[in-house]
Amino acid sequence: MTEKKIIIPIDPDLEELIPTFLENRNTDLEKLKQALQAKDMETLRSIGHSLKGVGGGYGFDKITELGAAIERGAKDNDVPTIEQQLLEFEHFLANIEVRYE
Amino acid sequence: MTNQIDSTDKNDITDIKDYSKIRIMVVDDDKDILKLLSVWLKKAGFEIQTCSSAEDALEAIASNRPNLIITDLFMEGMSGMQLLTAIHSDNPLMPVIMLSGSAQIHDAIKATHLGSSAFLTKPIDQDDLIKEVKRVLRLTSGSRTAGEFGSNVIYCSKEMAEIIELAESVADSNVTVFISGATGTGKEVIAKAIHENSFRHDHPFIAVNCGALPEQLLESELFGHEKGAFTGANMRHEGLFMAANGGTIFLDEIGDMPLSLQVKLLRVLQDLEVRPVGSVKTYPIDVRIISATHKDLEKAVEDGSFREDLYYRLNVVPLHIPPLNDRREDIPMLAEFFLKKFTKANRRGSQHFAPEAIEYLVSSSWPGNVRQLINTVDLCATLCKTEIIPLSIVQKALQDRPQSMQTLKEVKQDCEKNYLVSVLRICSGNVANAARIAGRNRTEFYKLLGQHELNPADFRIKDNSSE
Repeated sequence: MTEKKIIIPIDPDLEELIPTFLENRNTDLEKLKQALQAKDMETLRSIGHSLKGVGGGYGFDKITELGAAIERGAKDNDVPTIEQQLLEFEHFLANIEVRYE
Repeated sequence: MTNQIDSTDKNDITDIKDYSKIRIMVVDDDKDILKLLSVWLKKAGFEIQTCSSAEDALEAIASNRPNLIITDLFMEGMSGMQLLTAIHSDNPLMPVIMLSGSAQIHDAIKATHLGSSAFLTKPIDQDDLIKEVKRVLRLTSGSRTAGEFGSNVIYCSKEMAEIIELAESVADSNVTVFISGATGTGKEVIAKAIHENSFRHDHPFIAVNCGALPEQLLESELFGHEKGAFTGANMRHEGLFMAANGGTIFLDEIGDMPLSLQVKLLRVLQDLEVRPVGSVKTYPIDVRIISATHKDLEKAVEDGSFREDLYYRLNVVPLHIPPLNDRREDIPMLAEFFLKKFTKANRRGSQHFAPEAIEYLVSSSWPGNVRQLINTVDLCATLCKTEIIPLSIVQKALQDRPQSMQTLKEVKQDCEKNYLVSVLRICSGNVANAARIAGRNRTEFYKLLGQHELNPADFRIKDNSSE
């Protein structure tokens, strides 16, 4: 079954930066998964906070939204919410298609 | 780690040429944020330097002197707040914009208290960032380091930079300088800076207001008098030209000098010697002349109230100080400078203007120029009991004193005090003689001295040549 692509319009000025930006987000996702496994709430909060700050600026409002939810979940020690957000994050990263316009 | 990124992509921003020489340092431990802000700021025409830690930033600031610093609040190691404090301990006028991932009001308040120029919350919006950067630069424009020419010469405007450049180039010479400009623009400050930057700086700088004294007194003040030259002259007085020997004499309000004295001054300038009142002898002098006026001297020459030959003799290097309203970009630096001076003199804790308060100062009208700004800053600092001076206090200070120039009463009092000081100086503190010259009886004269807190004993100078 083919997943529907999530189209994200991005400022062409940022074209050169986007591949690295997305690579870094995939790295963040791996770190988040490991932190969740280790119940390391401080790392989850910190990465969530960082995602919240960086996503919207690049045009990925969804990343800011997910980051904020992960940060909040980590503060509240709410593992089910964090798990749900990480699944959404993984799905998002796997299916985005950037269009420079 | 620091990266120098050249500004190459310079399209799309209409006022790009205004910003192309502005260096902005961005400090954040998130490399994606650094890259993003670099792209945006480069596009707006700025030159960018990035640092991935506050420690790196502090090291780079000294060598690269940015015009503005944008820093993240929460970073590993030294925080943005600590960086702000460290920056301002060495560069109190450096504008700093603070970024934060969380919109915590207490962080924003603390950053403002510490002197941050703006506070932006992540995720940052491109338009908001550029707008804020331009606003902060407009208010604090630090394109030139102030205080290099004279400790009190504060500016960043192109207009003042051109004047100071000329003043600097002629400072270390004997050339006669003529400073024009409206009342309160700081003519004496420039004159003093020229003296301080000349080879004469170890000798006296003597300022005299040619408009504050009657003709006879002014002549005696400038050129001196012999004992017995006139009623009350019971001691020899050497005069200010002699007192300034080796140094600089600043003849303020030269346009108000009576014509008869203008002839005598011209002779002094031509012959470089003075003849005290009542003397047959002349004395050589080695004095640099700087004169100033708020009047249009060319017009005064035309209508015959100022000698043309003297005008050309004085006006060798003309410096025109623009009114404060024509160099508003200097206002934030001046306001913070005078505020610091005031708090230091009054032994008070440090105070800063809130960004909106500075904006209000910048947009206000200043008919009394820098002098009016000083009065307003002093009043704000006096009225405000907190560290940050809010907009309301500035509005109150300006509304309470819509004409912050001196009142007529203040001018009269200043003039009266100047007169009394001169008479006492000439009479060496002899009240009976001074009262006679002033045309008052001794009781009245003492009363006047009391009103101006003048003590005749301060003018009784020990002179070995006197009896």
